[in-house]
Amino acid sequence: MTSIHTDVQIGICGSAGDGTIAVGDILKRAMARAGYRVIAFDEYPAEIRGFGKCVARTRITTEQVYSMKPKTDVLVSLNDAHAIPHAEEVRDFGAVIYDSAPITMIDEGWHISGHLNPGQLPYGLPMREISEQATGSSRSRNIVALGFVAGLYQLPRQAFIDAIAAKFQTKAAEVTQSNVAAFNAGYDNGAEIYRFDKVEVGPPARRTRVHDSTMMTGNAAVVRGCLDAGIETFFGYPITPATSIMERLAVEMPKHGARLLQTEDEISAISATVGAGFAGARAATATSGPGFALMSEMMGLGVMAEVPAVVFVSQRGGPSTGMPTKTEQADLNIAVFGGHGDAKRIVLAPTNVEGCWRCAGRAFEMAEAYQTPVVVLLDLYLSNRYETVVFPNKNPFVRDAWKRPTQDNANEPYRRFELTADGISPRAVPGDPHGIHTATGLEHNEFGRPNDLSAMHFQMTEKRHEKLNAALKHPGITIYKRFGDTGEVDVGLLAWGSTFGETLEAMLLARAEGIRCAAMKVVMLSPLPVKPIKRFLKDCKEVIVPELNYEGQFANLVSGAVGRDVIRFNRVTGKPMAVNEILDTIRSAAGKRKLRKSAA
Amino acid sequence: MSPEHPIYLEDKLEEIRGSGRLGYRSKSLPTWCPGCGYYSMTEGVTWALNEIGLRNEDVVIVSGIGCASRFPFFMETYGFHTLHGRTLPVATGIKVANDKLTVVVVGGDGDGFAIGGGHIPHVARRNVDITYLLFDNGIYGLTKGQVSPTSAIGFTTSTSPFENHDQPLNPLMMLLSYGASWVGQAYAGQPGHLAEMIRAAIKHRGFSYLHILSPCVTFDKTDRTYRNLDFSVRNLPEDHDHSNRLAAIREATKVDRPAVGLYYVENRPTLSDTLDEVMIRAGGKPAEQAGAG
Ligand SMILES: Cc1ncc(C[n+]2csc(CCOP(=O)(O)OP(=O)(O)O)c2C)c(N)n1
Ligand code: SF4
Ligand SMILES: [Mg+2]
Repeated sequence: MTSIHTDVQIGICGSAGDGTIAVGDILKRAMARAGYRVIAFDEYPAEIRGFGKCVARTRITTEQVYSMKPKTDVLVSLNDAHAIPHAEEVRDFGAVIYDSAPITMIDEGWHISGHLNPGQLPYGLPMREISEQATGSSRSRNIVALGFVAGLYQLPRQAFIDAIAAKFQTKAAEVTQSNVAAFNAGYDNGAEIYRFDKVEVGPPARRTRVHDSTMMTGNAAVVRGCLDAGIETFFGYPITPATSIMERLAVEMPKHGARLLQTEDEISAISATVGAGFAGARAATATSGPGFALMSEMMGLGVMAEVPAVVFVSQRGGPSTGMPTKTEQADLNIAVFGGHGDAKRIVLAPTNVEGCWRCAGRAFEMAEAYQTPVVVLLDLYLSNRYETVVFPNKNPFVRDAWKRPTQDNANEPYRRFELTADGISPRAVPGDPHGIHTATGLEHNEFGRPNDLSAMHFQMTEKRHEKLNAALKHPGITIYKRFGDTGEVDVGLLAWGSTFGETLEAMLLARAEGIRCAAMKVVMLSPLPVKPIKRFLKDCKEVIVPELNYEGQFANLVSGAVGRDVIRFNRVTGKPMAVNEILDTIRSAAGKRKLRKSAA
Repeated sequence: MSPEHPIYLEDKLEEIRGSGRLGYRSKSLPTWCPGCGYYSMTEGVTWALNEIGLRNEDVVIVSGIGCASRFPFFMETYGFHTLHGRTLPVATGIKVANDKLTVVVVGGDGDGFAIGGGHIPHVARRNVDITYLLFDNGIYGLTKGQVSPTSAIGFTTSTSPFENHDQPLNPLMMLLSYGASWVGQAYAGQPGHLAEMIRAAIKHRGFSYLHILSPCVTFDKTDRTYRNLDFSVRNLPEDHDHSNRLAAIREATKVDRPAVGLYYVENRPTLSDTLDEVMIRAGGKPAEQAGAG
């Protein structure tokens, strides 16, 4: 038998009180432990308490993927009223698992079994009863359901038991025991049942050892990147969805002799970050749109005074307070252009969890090397979703990445803002007796003295812009990459940030349908790699730019830079882009070509 | 302090050169209007740095935007001329990054108590080990004479043509209630005393706030003038107990007769101490700090 290439998506839907997210968590951790690749994203209500709808989606694969599938293979309903609208997500010959003997009476018409399409295969399981038999309480019906799924598809039992033990590690031993009992009861039930769906799970790719890959969220990857890059100070103010960066750093940084402070607001956070950068520390802050808007003026001082600082911005629905728990990509404009004056800065937008780590680490190098604020732009979806990541054995990030003054001209007054060929001036920090200077937000000469003569302002503006071009060749980071068909294609997709995952998935599906197409991700939004984008667009008969904002902020950026219009595909649903919607757009763009061709 | 014998320019220059104070002055001459109270700042800060014997490279002067905030350019130390109102968080960042630096913050009343007012309580409560020299001229000097949060009621300016009606803030009371660990007041018209207060403020370990009454000779001809201040400024009573916060607040309420001197001082852990404590609790140890390499 040839080994099956695994690609299974399991959705668990229930209310906040059902332990939906908790079993989703055990599922993804168990599968990662077993050596599969995982991507997972949870949807939960904005309210802290209550019984709002939760959906935990996990996609389990042999090779790492970066988006959810258009259709779910298995849906577990812990609450039919919530799950009914999601039944249509289940593919033909996929499975729907529900409680056949729920605790409360369900009104006529509110059973999920009555809402399935022909071809979707229902498994009614008395979850509550099994839980009661196994543990003496109905509380573990979520674990029973998880066990059932694991048994049905013969997933590695031990990995689940280990994951359950890890989850309840801090609780009394009986808690683990009772949950394992519930899991086993569900598992045995699943294993015994005659399976008639067409969902196949093969063994993991190679016998991966448990800790070869680590499963983490985008924000956790940012934290790891910060630590690997040797972050020394962090200043922040809590805001969804960036808070977990500060929360994790608050635990980790002091262990490494680094300092973190929760400031009184974001103005203070960025000010202190710039202050620490001025003093020579690797300094960062993290925020979301509302906080980033407050930081604009100080970002400009960072640009003007040429101070390194790293700013993580995780986007959420806007404007104003907007939708704090929903995802969006509408802060490209403020990240790239935000602030007054010619204040160009570096903006990196990772497209997956591994990229969050890499961009975080490289952002510190870049901020130091090019003496400028660097924005790392994430979004809620990327910040919160889980992926399995394999890190290199050796920490790749370079410390002390900046050009310092030499002793050669020790007798001459120090030119902090010396005009050099590459625009980068040797930088001294307080404590260095040969580098005494005053940095200022006023336009200044090479010594940092206020100077607003036309020629000086021009030279300095040019310096501040041109020095950033070196970032386009910064080692150890992919700032753009093309996937799919090479050479000329009918449809090209250009995407940034988390949406690239869905874009890639849609492109691959379109190729499978025989459409010649390719997709390019752009990680560095400023300075923009204009030449490679131009080259790519030249190869594409039609260009689609999918993004989660209304007007097409990236489309505007690109078409402004390359002088060519593109097909904008915009969604503002607060949710990740749907793969099949992108796919439809590809089909219609490809179809349009064909139509035109046949008309000609 | 009337001199007993006439001062000759050459002797004075000799004395200044010999004192070592000039080592802290940059080649830029101050650009303030002749007679501005701010000249006492260069005098006072250079004298204090020299007295304490700090190395130029270990001092960072952080300023905001305003006439007072021009100060770092006139000094041969590290300087950061930042944004209007953002001195204190920038200074906090510098101090968190490198404890070994002596950080002196300079700014005006608008910079500190209008746009930047939200930051003051937080540096005070965290006891960040920096020195804040707030030069209060009761007016916006740099933008050419508008009303400020410390302007007196009845004061007419370009943006209060029908007189100021807003009650002025009482900065000393604010700082005392915010929990600043060193609070003092000085007057630009008494440069000798001011210099000594600056030295004491810098030497204090923790957040020191020095409020400096300073005339803007160009835009205020009626209110906070040398003549009026010479008349109203008094010394704190000899028996003032500067460990008693309530006594300090009581003195601070006497706004018609502002008193110069040390209002309040206490010793308590600084932000750096707190952050080190956090590190020890987390099981880490304080690492080499920025700029050390
Ligand atoms: C964000 C911002 N708003 C306004 C200004 C304009 N501005 C510059 S200095 C100043 C007030 C200065 O008054 P003060 O702080 O008392 O200093 P002084 O000039 O009296 O020393 C203002 C409003 C600015 N630079 N930045
Ligand atoms: S305008 Fe006023 S505060 Fe500014 S320098 Fe002149 S006198 Fe001093
Ligand atoms: Mg003023």
